[in-house]
Amino acid sequence: MDAIADGPQVQVKFVTQQRQFAIPETAIQTPARLRRYGLSQIINLVLQNEGEKQRPFDFLIDGEFLRTSLAEYLEEKNMSTENVLTIEYVESMLPPTPLSSYEHDDWVSAVQAHHPGGFLTGSYDNHVRLWNKQAECTQILTGHNGAVKAVQWLTSDGDNGTLLSGALDRSILAWEYSHVDNNHSILYECRGHTGGVESISLNATGDRFASGSADASIKIWTTIIPTVSDHIEDVTETRKKRKTVKEDRILKAPISSLNAHTGPVSAVTFSSTSADTLYSGGWDHSVRVWDIENSVNITTKNCEKVVHALDYSQHSGLLASGHADPVIRLWDPRSEDSSVVKQTLSGHQNWVTSVSWSPSSSYMLASGSYDGLIKVWDIRAKGALYTLSHGKASKKVFSIDWSNDILLSGGEDNQMKIHKVQDMTDRAEA
Amino acid sequence: MPSTRPTRKATGTKAAPAPSKKVVPAPAKKAVVAPKSKKRTVEEARDESDDEFGEVAIDMASDDDEEDMDGDDESDDAEDFPEEGEEGQDMSAADLEEDEDEDSEGSYMDGDSIVDSQEELDDEDAEDEEDEESDFDDLVEDDIDPNFGHNLNEPLAPESDYNPIIREYPEIDPVYDSDSSTEENENTVGNIPMHWYDDYPHIGYDIDGKKIMRPATGDELDKFLSTMDDPDSWLSAHNYKEGQDVKLSAEELEIIRRLEGNRIPDADYNPYEDQVEFFSSKTEIMPLSAAPEPKRRFIPSKHEAKRIMKIVRAIREGRIVPRKSGYVPPKPKYYNLWNDAEDKPREEHVMHITAPKMKLPTHDESYNPPAEYLPTEEEIKEWNEMDKEDRPKNYLPQKYNALRNVPGYGQFIQERFERCLDLYLAPRVRKNRLNIDPESLIPKLPSPRDLQPFPTRLAIEFLGHEGRVRSISVDPTGLWMASGSDDKTVRIWEISTGRCMATYHLDELVTSVVWGPNKDVAVLAVACGYKVGLILPEKLFSPELTLHSEEYLKAGFANVATGEPNPKAQWKQPTPAEFEKGIRVWVHLQKPVKQVTWHRKGDYFSTVAPDANNSAVLIHQLTKHQTQQPFKKTKGAVQRVMFHPTKPMFFVATQRYVRQYNLQRQELVKTMQTGVKWISSLDVHPAGDNLIIGSYDKRLCWFDLDLSSKPYKTLRYHQQAIRSVAYHKRYPLFASCADDGNVQIFHGMVYNDLLQNPLIVPVKILKNVHQRVEALGALCVEWHPTQPWLISSGADHTIKLFS
Repeated sequence: MDAIADGPQVQVKFVTQQRQFAIPETAIQTPARLRRYGLSQIINLVLQNEGEKQRPFDFLIDGEFLRTSLAEYLEEKNMSTENVLTIEYVESMLPPTPLSSYEHDDWVSAVQAHHPGGFLTGSYDNHVRLWNKQAECTQILTGHNGAVKAVQWLTSDGDNGTLLSGALDRSILAWEYSHVDNNHSILYECRGHTGGVESISLNATGDRFASGSADASIKIWTTIIPTVSDHIEDVTETRKKRKTVKEDRILKAPISSLNAHTGPVSAVTFSSTSADTLYSGGWDHSVRVWDIENSVNITTKNCEKVVHALDYSQHSGLLASGHADPVIRLWDPRSEDSSVVKQTLSGHQNWVTSVSWSPSSSYMLASGSYDGLIKVWDIRAKGALYTLSHGKASKKVFSIDWSNDILLSGGEDNQMKIHKVQDMTDRAEA
Repeated sequence: MPSTRPTRKATGTKAAPAPSKKVVPAPAKKAVVAPKSKKRTVEEARDESDDEFGEVAIDMASDDDEEDMDGDDESDDAEDFPEEGEEGQDMSAADLEEDEDEDSEGSYMDGDSIVDSQEELDDEDAEDEEDEESDFDDLVEDDIDPNFGHNLNEPLAPESDYNPIIREYPEIDPVYDSDSSTEENENTVGNIPMHWYDDYPHIGYDIDGKKIMRPATGDELDKFLSTMDDPDSWLSAHNYKEGQDVKLSAEELEIIRRLEGNRIPDADYNPYEDQVEFFSSKTEIMPLSAAPEPKRRFIPSKHEAKRIMKIVRAIREGRIVPRKSGYVPPKPKYYNLWNDAEDKPREEHVMHITAPKMKLPTHDESYNPPAEYLPTEEEIKEWNEMDKEDRPKNYLPQKYNALRNVPGYGQFIQERFERCLDLYLAPRVRKNRLNIDPESLIPKLPSPRDLQPFPTRLAIEFLGHEGRVRSISVDPTGLWMASGSDDKTVRIWEISTGRCMATYHLDELVTSVVWGPNKDVAVLAVACGYKVGLILPEKLFSPELTLHSEEYLKAGFANVATGEPNPKAQWKQPTPAEFEKGIRVWVHLQKPVKQVTWHRKGDYFSTVAPDANNSAVLIHQLTKHQTQQPFKKTKGAVQRVMFHPTKPMFFVATQRYVRQYNLQRQELVKTMQTGVKWISSLDVHPAGDNLIIGSYDKRLCWFDLDLSSKPYKTLRYHQQAIRSVAYHKRYPLFASCADDGNVQIFHGMVYNDLLQNPLIVPVKILKNVHQRVEALGALCVEWHPTQPWLISSGADHTIKLFS
């Protein structure tokens, strides 16, 4: 302390919402030239964490991360050094570490992780791949006639499960698999889209799923496994086409169709709190909120750019969207304003094609972009917290998924990449 | 009459020597002799002047044809003369003054005093008088003319009464024909050659018309004898008119002698007579005119009254402001020529620019410059190799031990001469800098920031082609893009990811690919060598759409069997292998096809084969497999064609012109004069009222079809030939790409209001989008149909999407 005690001093009061790191809320004189690291040392000193137990902390002043020295911050904000500065500290997120990457035969266009189930990838070689938790490719699901653009877990208990996949061949297939006997089968085929399926989302209760398609429609389906085919009028089906379709597939029709979009729908996501609320974004530059029970478009929010990706955070209740520009936009779906962007995060160099909120934190999200980078953001900080490279330089990232402590990504370089991210479940208690 | 003549002469001499007038009188015997007795001395001058007066009076009287001159009238007459003359003079002088008055009126207004003008008046009066006198001279002189005497044939009796001095005149024989001019002139034939009468006995006719017989003459012997007899015969001369010898008198001989001696024939004539000053400063005891002062001398002049009234009026009206009482006229300025002390140079004119002073010599011009000023070997070499004009200075610093070692400067005269030239010949002009803010000259254009959205950055690269990508096209849904390349392939790409979804291998270079504009029919027209293929891309579209398209494409084959095969375009089925690939129809043409373009409804498409002369432009109907040739004769090499987006119009771009045709009426609507050398590309605004063309000479022209046949705007932004231009279908954007590899993006707003001209704002230059390969850069630009995304293809085998 003596060594760093010279120079101007600032009175600070440290507070935290993470109880395990709480320290007495008394004003402490600290040198103004301290940065994050110095402040973190102080906290560790007070907590008497030593050696391995030392933890890095991040410091928030007025809800904004401290990225400069205290003196510079005060100067920038024109604040007096006389007043007591209240600094909130949170445990820092450790930088994600790349675990491994797995080669595919073609571009990886869709990835999703499931806690007990493992990982699911869709690829431009028309296959859906199933990976177990040990990251071994256990099953290759073949059945699509076009590039698989969306995958979605339905249920899984580790060894057995069901899943969905949507592809450019305009169909959604529901699969059943079993790791035990290394078997998989198509449960049913969802038919009704006239354009490629871009996105699939399962609702919170698991009884409905929605699909967004390039034909500008969103269709809502049930997850009930039908025993007989729904009657689908398919007069245009040619003889040749009929041959290729396996007759044993059970066809399923949507229960409703939402057609307000005027361009391809590129992203759909269900609210994780309300099973009836669906969010969608499309090429018509709109983000729409739907009530699927009544098939009503509740609100429409417009921006200037094509929406490529959408994710809803159950913790903060915010929507994050990736666009055909390098900006991530955060929306508050509850507000009635049609074009109010709550916040923008910029730092990418190209289109942002996928966004994923942290499952545990209300502030953290990850994004994948065509510039080949994955960025981890804390919406309280100005820039990205961490920038991870997906693979080879400037190869597009098509899909990312943040699940628990795993950050999955798939891209143009035929790789599925897994990053280990610090689990922040304990921090989210606040 | 004889008495008047000499005096007349005298009056003539008094005014001015006028030799012509003196010579004019005929050299008659009497006339010559007459002045002989006239004695003139200086003493007589006074008398003569008196005499003169009297003479003049008579002359004037005679001029007035007053024949009867009674003694009573004489004095009146004498008095009248000068008055008349003076009156006339006065009038003319008054006139003159009037003129002067008018001229000088301005000066009054400038504030001259009355006093001054009064003086002026006096002066003018004096001048008048002078004029009078001089004119009087003229008058007298003018009256002397040689014929004067004939007017007065009768002797004037009263003259002697009037003139008391009697002079001696030669004796005159008082017979009628005493005059020499008439005395011998019996023969009336006149001045004719007398040899005409040689053959006649007579030599002429007398005044009564009777023949004058030739006097008898003897022969030569008689003549000789007579000359021998008569001692005076040598003094006689032969008068041919009379046919006689006339004996010359002594006077005549004298005249001959004088003529021979080149002297004046009249011995008495003195050409150097003394000048008699009639009008001099001397006050004569007896003035020229003894007339009493005329009445007008005592009454105020009307003219002066007029002039004074003029001034008075001017003063009243305030046109002339009288000077104040204490006014002292400014002293005239004189320059002291010889005062050296105060000899200051005059101030320079405002516009004077002094010649620049010569630069003072610096160290390196010294004869012994410091070492650092001496040039090194390389510098000397460089200096020597440089052109004279390029040298920074025309000497090299040199070192001498002593000033006396310095040689003469060779350039001295030259330099002095040039300096002199510069000093007095170089025009130095003060140039007025235009004090205009250059910013203010730039037209007020909205900031590009306000014109968003427009593409700004590279988003996706589409890699895979192995040749120049000549043509790209985006399908109406905006999801797929087709590209045709020199690697003989057509590729179809997924726009949002850059994934190549399909590749069609063809057997020729692909020059043009265009998606059918009908959303219900998925068809891709491909120009490839001599043929046009219609491709149905499978898998990309829903089965319903595919089936519909299939039937649409097939429909024509049923029709074509009935009609005769058109040699210009043959519709053919593809081979099964080609069918498997997706090709549904081939249209074989006679010449290589450069461009395919669709009608908005997707049934008709047009092809351009520039080499095919008259059948360069063909319009094909897909559903009936028919081909029409819209133009019997095409004017010039067709570069591009285009259907109007809403009306049955057709645009044909030849090398220099764009012509608009009405397809329904089959007539030419308009010819656009582009002013460019070679059109490369053409696009019509989706509203149909504007079009842009790109040219190989780097220009882009915007035509407002309602406005004029000349370009509304011509833009020259590119460094190289423009290859392609394109309008966005929804956004007010257009773009052009050129061989320099750059793509320019413009905001091109067309207003619904017809009064408002289109607004063109350059918003973005995408530099070096494509690398230059073999002098080719960006080859094609295309807009995404729904998004503000620009796609460009280039010679570097790439396609790039900007958002």
